[in-house]
Amino acid sequence: MSFAAAMRYRFMKDLGAPALMAARRAMRKKRPSRPDPLFGPPLKSLARLKEIMMRHYFLARYAPGAHPVAWVTSGAPVELLRVFGFYTFYPENHGAMCGAAHMAPELCQAAEDHGYSQDLCSYARCDLGHYFTGKSPAGQLPKPDLLFASNNICQTVTYWFKALAHYYDIPLILFDTPFNFDQITESDLRYMAGQLEEMITPLQRISGVKFDQAKFLASLELGRATSETWGQVLQTMRHRPSPLTIFDTFFHMAPVVSLRGLPVAYDYYQTLLEELRDRVARGIGAVKLERKRLMWDNIAMWYKVRDFSNLFAEHGMNFVVATYTNAWAETIQYLDPDDPFRSLAKTYSLVILNNNLDHRLSLMERLIADYQVDGLVIHSARSCKPYSVGQYDLKRLLMERLAIPSVVIEADITDSRAYSEEQTRTRLEAFFEALED
Amino acid sequence: MSLFAGIDIGSLSTEAVIIDQQAAMVAAVILPTEAHSTKAAETALEAALEQAGARRPELARIVATGYGRVSVPFAHKAVTEITCHGAGAHHLFPGTGTVIDIGGQDSKVIRLGPGGKVVDFTMNDKCAAGTGRFLEVMAAKLGAGLDELGPLSRAARREVAISSVCTVFAESEVVSLVARNEPREDIIRGLHRAIVNRVWSMVRAVGVEGQVTMTGGVAKNSGVVELLEEKVGQPINVYREPQIVGALGAALLARDQARALG
Amino acid sequence: MTRKEYLQHQKTQRHRRVVGVLPALFPREILWAADAVPAEVWDPPLAVSRAGAHLQPYICSVVRQSLELILSGGADLVDALLFPHTCDSIQNMASVVHDYCGLDTPCLFFYHPKAPYTQHSRVYYRDQLQALLERLQELFGPAEPGALTAAVEMGQRMYRRLGEMYARRAGGNLGLGNEEFYRVLRRGEYLHPEDFIAELDQVLGRPAPAAAPPGPAVILSGVVPNPPGLLSQLDRLGVAVAHDDLLMGSRRIPSRLPAEGDPLDRLTESYFSLPPCSTRSNSLARRAAYLGQLVEQTGAAGVIFLIVKFCEPEYFDLPNLVEELKARGVPSLVLDTETNQPYDGRMATRVEAFIEMIG
Repeated sequence: MSFAAAMRYRFMKDLGAPALMAARRAMRKKRPSRPDPLFGPPLKSLARLKEIMMRHYFLARYAPGAHPVAWVTSGAPVELLRVFGFYTFYPENHGAMCGAAHMAPELCQAAEDHGYSQDLCSYARCDLGHYFTGKSPAGQLPKPDLLFASNNICQTVTYWFKALAHYYDIPLILFDTPFNFDQITESDLRYMAGQLEEMITPLQRISGVKFDQAKFLASLELGRATSETWGQVLQTMRHRPSPLTIFDTFFHMAPVVSLRGLPVAYDYYQTLLEELRDRVARGIGAVKLERKRLMWDNIAMWYKVRDFSNLFAEHGMNFVVATYTNAWAETIQYLDPDDPFRSLAKTYSLVILNNNLDHRLSLMERLIADYQVDGLVIHSARSCKPYSVGQYDLKRLLMERLAIPSVVIEADITDSRAYSEEQTRTRLEAFFEALED
Repeated sequence: MSLFAGIDIGSLSTEAVIIDQQAAMVAAVILPTEAHSTKAAETALEAALEQAGARRPELARIVATGYGRVSVPFAHKAVTEITCHGAGAHHLFPGTGTVIDIGGQDSKVIRLGPGGKVVDFTMNDKCAAGTGRFLEVMAAKLGAGLDELGPLSRAARREVAISSVCTVFAESEVVSLVARNEPREDIIRGLHRAIVNRVWSMVRAVGVEGQVTMTGGVAKNSGVVELLEEKVGQPINVYREPQIVGALGAALLARDQARALG
Repeated sequence: MTRKEYLQHQKTQRHRRVVGVLPALFPREILWAADAVPAEVWDPPLAVSRAGAHLQPYICSVVRQSLELILSGGADLVDALLFPHTCDSIQNMASVVHDYCGLDTPCLFFYHPKAPYTQHSRVYYRDQLQALLERLQELFGPAEPGALTAAVEMGQRMYRRLGEMYARRAGGNLGLGNEEFYRVLRRGEYLHPEDFIAELDQVLGRPAPAAAPPGPAVILSGVVPNPPGLLSQLDRLGVAVAHDDLLMGSRRIPSRLPAEGDPLDRLTESYFSLPPCSTRSNSLARRAAYLGQLVEQTGAAGVIFLIVKFCEPEYFDLPNLVEELKARGVPSLVLDTETNQPYDGRMATRVEAFIEMIG
């Protein structure tokens, strides 16, 4: 790591970023706010969230040379990386950003121009498209020194990150988490814990920082507390009316995904939780008229979040729970500081996408009961096979067991070219009619 | 006098070209293929002979190409349209390094090496996006004739973005654009952009080298050619009858083969 | 005897169990040790109707057709189903079958560690072998003493013959056309090894051909050598497939066959000597080197990639492999296929044009 780069990063962190944020705040104050006919007043925390994420992407430019930079998958045990001072960057989060900024078709096309099939995951195509063109809605991404992946969310990330390892010519560390077909075994746990312990040596070498058990435990505790608080944030949505919509949480989840194990994420959720509890106490709902409560299955359709948010609110419907946002809170209960490696392995390998469909069905049944769900919207995402294969059965079984009406939208997470407005409209209107009966 | 014939039996049309020893074209005909490819080949060849004022025995060698190439019993040899389009384009525009052929059912991009030899090529996958068929479906939806597409597209003041790559999706997108009263010209230009983006992926895969020549029926669409030229960053060669380039290539190969056989 | 008749015969006359196995990498020897015949399911020739109720249209034909077979009575023929952890689609299909389809057939799962490998990968792989053997014994009763070692030996005999078949083909000394070669090879997907080895011996005993085919030689890469019409077209064009990098072919033939030791250790050693594969997540550098080496050793003039549409692991590696081959001056052709797609004019044209180009 270079001294000049470290100084520059320090400078930007202490002075540059705060100056940028102050400038943004000053600009925002000029805009008068009007009450919205559909939604409750905006959350005060939202401004803080935007600052945090903007600062994260702003500092990304100055991180290379000052910190070792790791590109990380959303389900990787990042708590371990924190010990070594890695600046972490999440290509999946960046993919979501490309989708929300409507840049995905252009970046995907660039990857397709280089021979990547249009049937591949569009997060991966956005990322590869960025590699080939240098384009990104975030300006400039920090060049990685390490790729850190876990296949607990999909095998796709292993194929994708191995392509990145090839292009950037840097090491790839994989945390291989056997799929939980029946039940997790002693051998599975030994394998996973063994890998985590073995990673320490290459991580020390790449970062130049020695492993420190106390730091590791502190990082685990911070990660645990962050996930737990995130879980509490989601739980406020059990109230009627819910103080949040799932579309809000698609953005509020950014810190627990990208900044887990850092104080800023934990602090943010504490503030958010306080504000939400206050809203619950005062009976303020995110959607003014919350007549029906819905559940979302699968990753968001990032280019449609705003449209859908309005469309459902117009019908007096609010999404109060999603299997997706819940994933970063669900398994944190397994974490045990007395047995850090094995319990970390358990926490990360039992997440929804690495677990059998029977588990998923029970989880969804529980969430439907806990959140008093009236209907289910299933996003069948071309990009994400582990999330999507089995959804048709889930739909059928939930109808059989709980008589929950549901609708399947065939679309994609970021590539709007695989989405048909007309087909979706028709399906959703039929779903709205079914819910009103 | 020795003559050489090339017959290109495509799914929609059949072309026959006759050349002489000096490779000068003495006849060129385009006929619809209809249901029977052997018959189509026969009819096209007869029409070409008539145009050339020649008789069958004067033909020293016949090469068939296109999907129906194996159904031409009187051809001496069958050669794929990739090799034939390469040979034809090289003959017409000797500086050609890349051939873009957008036909009715498929499109291909061919890289040529020295002497017009094929060194690389790619074809579209089963999906119809990026073929003449895509434009045909859309033109029908918009009530425009195929030959009107080029001028209409060039008259567009704006360009409507067509986001879907799938023909079925794009069709419903076009329907809703029409419902929103978007000008037809702007939609057509958007459709041309969509097809060019698809074809560009294939061009990118084999690379641009030297001059670029476009063949196949869609090459007559000035709107597509213009947008492709923008992408390629250089003017594109288009022969006045771009559909016959494959048959011409086949005739040229017939001549080469006859020479090699002595 | 058809495949179905053969398997019935194995059950009724030889009193063996039959286990339906999904693609791709699985320890056959463990099944043999439990006196079970694996019947691999890659591309059953069925029109998909039932599977469509469980799988989205963007799932590959291997998975769709396998599920169709399972749901349309295929599961009744077998004593158990084994799902190796090949990709996300097979993983979830396994869970759909196990958790949602209400079948009585026991479902087994086999996870193999993914690269980049660490020292723990081998230990884990061995554990998985052990666990699978135990599970099969729970289902089918205890294996005979020495059965595992005998199975390992039998596997090695089979791999040696397959190795010889590949080597002789590469050298132009095997009297089999392309279509016949893969027909023989693919019988190993359901024959008991004793029968399969006998067939291989018969093939290897044939006299070498007088002359090599006149056309250029090619390498096939991909999942399965489908559609079979491609192989017969290559035969007609006088083109020899000199070697393959197929998931059902050479990617399942280990290069190390340890002579002695603990049988599970021997299987583990062999497993980690397999050629690189997308489904094991081996690095692009290794895959490119392997393909390059096949081209160099056989003097092949080009590579044909047979990609099953929607196959993520293969799709992801493809652009780099094509590029690396190009850099070495080796042309390649990519064909997007569905396992039971007829060999149509479009595909034939591409193949023929490719052969015209490299010939």
